[in-house]
Amino acid sequence: MDVTDLREQRDIEQVYQPAEDSHLLATTACEHICADDRVLDVGTGSGYVAATVQERTGATVVGTDVNPHACRQARDHGVDVVRTDLVSGICGSFDVVLCNPPYLPTDPDEEWDDWMEYALSGGPTGRAVINDVLDALRSVLSPSGRAYLLVSTLSDLDAVTERANENNCETTIIEEESVPFETLVVFEITLKH
Amino acid sequence: MKETLMDILCCPLDKETLELEVTQTDQSQTETEIIDGELVCAECGTKYPIEDGIPNLLPPDMRE
Repeated sequence: MDVTDLREQRDIEQVYQPAEDSHLLATTACEHICADDRVLDVGTGSGYVAATVQERTGATVVGTDVNPHACRQARDHGVDVVRTDLVSGICGSFDVVLCNPPYLPTDPDEEWDDWMEYALSGGPTGRAVINDVLDALRSVLSPSGRAYLLVSTLSDLDAVTERANENNCETTIIEEESVPFETLVVFEITLKH
Repeated sequence: MKETLMDILCCPLDKETLELEVTQTDQSQTETEIIDGELVCAECGTKYPIEDGIPNLLPPDMRE
């Protein structure tokens, strides 16, 4: 293997690869996005959701990720990518925000401290990143914009709704899918005026 | 990164405007890609590298 192959191999091992949750979010998002929407994919990972939305809807999608391996992979998939922590380097308003956050409840003693842990672990409640995203939503979403957030029953859907309400947002479950041990749902979130 | 991305980027520390300094571009795409360069916060002066087309907007103490 040459250097590029080794780098690609390492990128794949260090980046969450598309799974049921990614497919559900991508499929649902495509039904609700049109070509002139400006879309932000927070924590884009491999770039699968962003690239799928871009290809199928013609919308412009920008992805963010804190993981440098994920940034490279998303860019290789044709996504404009910014390395930043969630939306901290992003200003401006988007018509649509997408996010498939890490949501697995993880005991602090079991955190394994690498990029894959970042992609999977949602802290003790599973909602550490979800909460940060909900708290930041208003700063990147246009007044009439909507966010599509993938959440699992493992991270307590009522608590997610409550956090959204605290941020003056409304939530509707628009899609769900049962998989072993959990049900995946897509929340549509809009800002209350 | 495309130059139009500048519209939505800001300094992660103070949310102020960034200034773009380009070192290398790729003109083979329909829209010019900035491959290497630097983003400098107009307010606090913090510098953020653009490497292999990816702007790194992590604060200096969060980079490896």
